[in-house]
Amino acid sequence: MDLSQYAELFLAESREHLSACNQLLLEWEKHPSGLAPVGGLFRAVHTVKGMAATMGYARVTDLAHRMESLLDLLRRGARPATDELLQLLFRARDALEHAVELSVVGRERELEVAEVVADLDHAASRMAAPRPQGPGGRATPPPPASPPPVELESAPGRLVQVTLRPEAPLKGGRALLVVKKAQGLGAVHAITPPPAAFEADDFEGRFSLRLDSPLPADRIVAALTAVGDVEGVAVGGDEAPGSGAPVEPGAAGVLAEGGGRSRHIRVALRRLDGLMDLIGELVTARGRLNQLAAERRDPAIDDLAIQVSRLSSDLQAEIIQARMTPVWQVFDRFPRLVRDLARELGKEVSFRVEGKEIELDRAILDELGDPLMHLLRNAVDHGIEPASERRRRGKPPEGEVVLTAARERASVAITVTDDGRGIDRKKTLERAKRDGVVDPHADTLTDDQLLRVLARPGFSTAETVTSVSGRGVGIDVVMTRLRALGGTIDIRSEPGRGTSFTLRLPVTLAIVRAIIASVGPERYALPLTYVAETVEFGTVKTTVVEGREAIVLHDRVVPLVHLRRLLGVTQDAPPPRSPIIVLEMGERRSGVVVDGMLGQQEIVVKGFDAPPGTLPVFSGATIMADGIPALILDAGGLL
Amino acid sequence: MSHTVLVCDDAIFMRTMITDILAQAGFEVVGEAETGSQAVEKYRELKPDLVTMDIVMPDMGGIDAVREIVKQDPDAKILMCSAMGQQALVVEAIQAGAKDFVVKPFQPSRVLEAVQRVLG
Repeated sequence: MDLSQYAELFLAESREHLSACNQLLLEWEKHPSGLAPVGGLFRAVHTVKGMAATMGYARVTDLAHRMESLLDLLRRGARPATDELLQLLFRARDALEHAVELSVVGRERELEVAEVVADLDHAASRMAAPRPQGPGGRATPPPPASPPPVELESAPGRLVQVTLRPEAPLKGGRALLVVKKAQGLGAVHAITPPPAAFEADDFEGRFSLRLDSPLPADRIVAALTAVGDVEGVAVGGDEAPGSGAPVEPGAAGVLAEGGGRSRHIRVALRRLDGLMDLIGELVTARGRLNQLAAERRDPAIDDLAIQVSRLSSDLQAEIIQARMTPVWQVFDRFPRLVRDLARELGKEVSFRVEGKEIELDRAILDELGDPLMHLLRNAVDHGIEPASERRRRGKPPEGEVVLTAARERASVAITVTDDGRGIDRKKTLERAKRDGVVDPHADTLTDDQLLRVLARPGFSTAETVTSVSGRGVGIDVVMTRLRALGGTIDIRSEPGRGTSFTLRLPVTLAIVRAIIASVGPERYALPLTYVAETVEFGTVKTTVVEGREAIVLHDRVVPLVHLRRLLGVTQDAPPPRSPIIVLEMGERRSGVVVDGMLGQQEIVVKGFDAPPGTLPVFSGATIMADGIPALILDAGGLL
Repeated sequence: MSHTVLVCDDAIFMRTMITDILAQAGFEVVGEAETGSQAVEKYRELKPDLVTMDIVMPDMGGIDAVREIVKQDPDAKILMCSAMGQQALVVEAIQAGAKDFVVKPFQPSRVLEAVQRVLG
């Protein structure tokens, strides 16, 4: 049997169970005397063990088995969690995760689990000492002293001696099946050893019984052998044939038709990616077909083009929906992360997640793990004060970190909030002046300026560099990643009250609706996600704020960005009434001045490796309906 | 007509594998259950020819599910799917009315042999 086809499924499901283990361990840690999590832990590890055994990953199976044995003892012993025990289980869980990951890529041999295995065994043996119990099973009765098949002269019927194959698994279960089969042939007496011994793990697979049945010996041998895993059946002399009539098993159950089939299947992510690529090409082809139909003015082609448009839109909507993944799939690892960090730093932190069910495109979600980890680390390390300091400031000793996901218009906002000390604006301002990021005479920093300062590579105001957040706050890393996803970041920070970072992301990446704008001879696409409205130059009031040209729109000042100047375009003259595309992101607004607007259309986003020196205002590229590529403008970069 | 099967296991991985083994041998998997109580419910609804039943499942375990199903239908044909080291549990399941068992890791030939035995 080719097992490789199941490797992906094994990995995906094991990860789910291991993630569940984390949640359960955290829950147990919070309420050490509650025993509910232990059963769940046992089941999760047991499931991973079964799957790993089936995949042939011997070391993973072994590790899971030892962990399971310990959990089984805990479950049966109904013991509250001690800190030492929890740390061991956390460690074992991590080791198991590592083992699973290595195994599926064929590197199982590199595993080094001796230490954690020894610790698990040690803990299990200490716990098991008073009451020896079998793993995965019930408390086992003391093993019977070598059970030889003994003939009891007093019982009626022929002596039947059965030997099971030495390699047969769970011989006790098999023996019981043989006994049951015999009971179907006639009356059974004097089972030796008694069936209670079948439950013992060291049952050797030899037993005897008295069978009172009119059947000839060869029929009995055949019937009992058919139970499976039977090596030999010996039927003795006919001493006292009884009248026990053979009982035939009941008729087969009624056939049921259809219905009740499982309504979910799992699909490998790369299949969905492949499908998305194909639909991307279909959308491009559809664009060309529409153009062609418009040129030909043939009603038949027109009808067909409309039909193809509708079908491909539906198809696209379906596949985008299929790619949607709830954020908890990434968020679920954070409670453990925050807990570990808080422990390491000796801080008291409670962590809350809201909006777990909000969905994002899988490709975006997968990229979010690292940036969010950065922000959570910052919150715990730099944000939350030590308990003593918090008490001094009249705050509750336990700090709070909240991770929230919420759906906005066409985007999803993810916020990391802490109620810690806030960013020290004075220190940051000094540093910003030194670096020349702000006017040397400035005496305050706005939130926007603060973000720009923080986003400078390697920036840090921390007096000591900790192992947790490392050097610098890493906001530059977060920003770069978000930019690549077409997302943005906002910051709010209040001294003594805390800091909050908000990431805004498009719901899906691959196909977006965009405004196609022209500047000189080139076309550019601007995704609608952050477009608030469009106005015409000359129809709105212009002004100058802080040396920047701006327009006044709905009583608000919107600074302008002239794309022509920004991109250094000199060909052709700009039209007198240039269109302005107004971008809006949270509180920030910006008007992008272009030469012309060519309409809206769906574009397929392709990755874009910007050559060094490229302005940071492009997030990707797309192929237009006429086959000519166009660059996609990044709203975040233009704001 | 091919025999119908209800596959009960809390792991999708296991359900997929068992379903593949059985489907390749011409069986028709008509339903899946992730918990013991689901298994009982689906058995009532689907009346399958055969049930494969995991022992350790959340909510209601496999053994209790066997008891419930046999109570409804004493002729129910249930094949237990167990792991090494579950001797006592397998014995308990058989006493509860399970007809046979296979042990993980599954070998397709052994699974099919057991299925044939159960279906008689």
